[in-house]
Amino acid sequence: MSGTALQQVELVVRTIAQTAVDNEKYFGDLDAVVGDGDFGYSLARGFEKVLEGWDDIDRTDVGAFLKKIGMIVTSRIGGTSGPIWGTAFMKAGISAGPANELSGEQVVAMLRAATDGIKARGQSDVGDKTLLDALVPMTDAIERELASGADHAAVLAVAATTARTAAEATSELVARRGRASYTGERSRGSVDAGAMGVAVIVERISHAWTTEGAS
Amino acid sequence: MKKFINDPQQFVPEMLEGIALANPDTLRYLPEYNLLMRADSPREDKVSIVQGSGSGHEPAHVMIVGKGMLDAACPGDVFAAPPMDYVYETTKKLASPKGVLLLVNNYTGDRMAFDMGKEMAEAEGIRVEILTINDDVAVKDSLYTVGRRGVAGNFFVIKAVGAASEQGADIEELLRIGNKVNDVTRTMGVALTSCTPPAKGSTLFELGEDEIEMGVGIHGEPGRKRMKMTNADAIVDELLEAVVTDLPYSSGDDVALMINGLGGTPISELYILYRRAHQKLTEQGIKVTRSYVNEYCTSLDMAGASLTLVKLDDEIDALLGAPAEVAVRVF
Repeated sequence: MSGTALQQVELVVRTIAQTAVDNEKYFGDLDAVVGDGDFGYSLARGFEKVLEGWDDIDRTDVGAFLKKIGMIVTSRIGGTSGPIWGTAFMKAGISAGPANELSGEQVVAMLRAATDGIKARGQSDVGDKTLLDALVPMTDAIERELASGADHAAVLAVAATTARTAAEATSELVARRGRASYTGERSRGSVDAGAMGVAVIVERISHAWTTEGAS
Repeated sequence: MKKFINDPQQFVPEMLEGIALANPDTLRYLPEYNLLMRADSPREDKVSIVQGSGSGHEPAHVMIVGKGMLDAACPGDVFAAPPMDYVYETTKKLASPKGVLLLVNNYTGDRMAFDMGKEMAEAEGIRVEILTINDDVAVKDSLYTVGRRGVAGNFFVIKAVGAASEQGADIEELLRIGNKVNDVTRTMGVALTSCTPPAKGSTLFELGEDEIEMGVGIHGEPGRKRMKMTNADAIVDELLEAVVTDLPYSSGDDVALMINGLGGTPISELYILYRRAHQKLTEQGIKVTRSYVNEYCTSLDMAGASLTLVKLDDEIDALLGAPAEVAVRVF
């Protein structure tokens, strides 16, 4: 995908939102194994609002756009998923600031700001069996691939496979945060719904980048 | 359910509209953010004091916006934290060169919304601090908290920082004062009945005809225990024991004593509670030098009351005694 930084960010956000809406049942079923089963529903209802108001979202610059997405997501997704996912967009937006061009370093900085924000908001870290277990390895992979000079499509392909592998590996972990943590040892043996959600989303972004990237 | 409502969804907006219409010279109402603010705020020479929480606790906090108290209130729906974009927009509207102090009762949803609103506003160069209030001694953790809940004692924190901000205190000084008041304030409540959120249309929880909930939260959350109804003096003794031993308050202390109605209890009954509390404290050598008997922080139509003590020193006493003008007028 070529186009301006804002167009690229729009493609990514729109794909995240559409994937969340399309996978309401699948994400809910994943969460129901050890959580309370509302993850798919909450995420879908919130991102529906993003898609409904899509044309009216502030597009002054990448930062303003992402911050507005963060506010919609925070306010419209129920439970703790709203603040957690909303924080990621908000922090990425603050990190981007009034940018209209984004370098690879800036993209990595935005992803780091997002994951650090999730860690602070949820008082969690890698290994707690949360979406961070997919997001952080994915960000590491993106940073490595960008540094090696890979093109965007190749970077995203590696990001997708890394997130998928990392999400699958969460089945070995015991949940220490979120509703699933109430089940303790019983949470071992099933993947974390948030981490798998991230993997499915990044796969869709990787696909969309190469198929919808004609602009 | 028999209530003075039109559309349950419009309960909060219509209440806010009413408060604004009753106070046209002193208040401004921005319906798009549930925001009720002083007409003369923000001021360049004063830290803006903002309190937000769920609605259903009136007069907290929307009716105590005014000189010497809050510059603005940012309420959510009934018993629901305000959305973070409301917090963010409120903070921007109240931005003063001296900063914005956000007072937050310790509930998980409120803390997340205010933390995020603060971070967003800070990214735009606004000075923002958060002061968390947690005066409830009933339970360590509750349905909606990690740690103690913030209940009626928030009045004293608001009163003290409101007064100090009028006198020109900077934001660090207000944090010191607010934390100091919170540290010497303790509360416990008791419910005689449940309450009815308008959008729910039925009682929030079940409480038998002869049962009371000792240590109840202001959203009807469970407290210490459910017990048989007994007489007023016995109920005061139990509340007082829990509150006095917690800080602890001891002989020789000067205190403010608040008996706060939870929304469905007549003022007459509150004074019956006050009488016993005052007498028992006096017996223990604890001198009540400031008295508050009324509704300050309610739970919709719940019958019940809470008892709050604040240990006074000269600084806190002077701030509590400073003049204030709010929308709840009794003169």
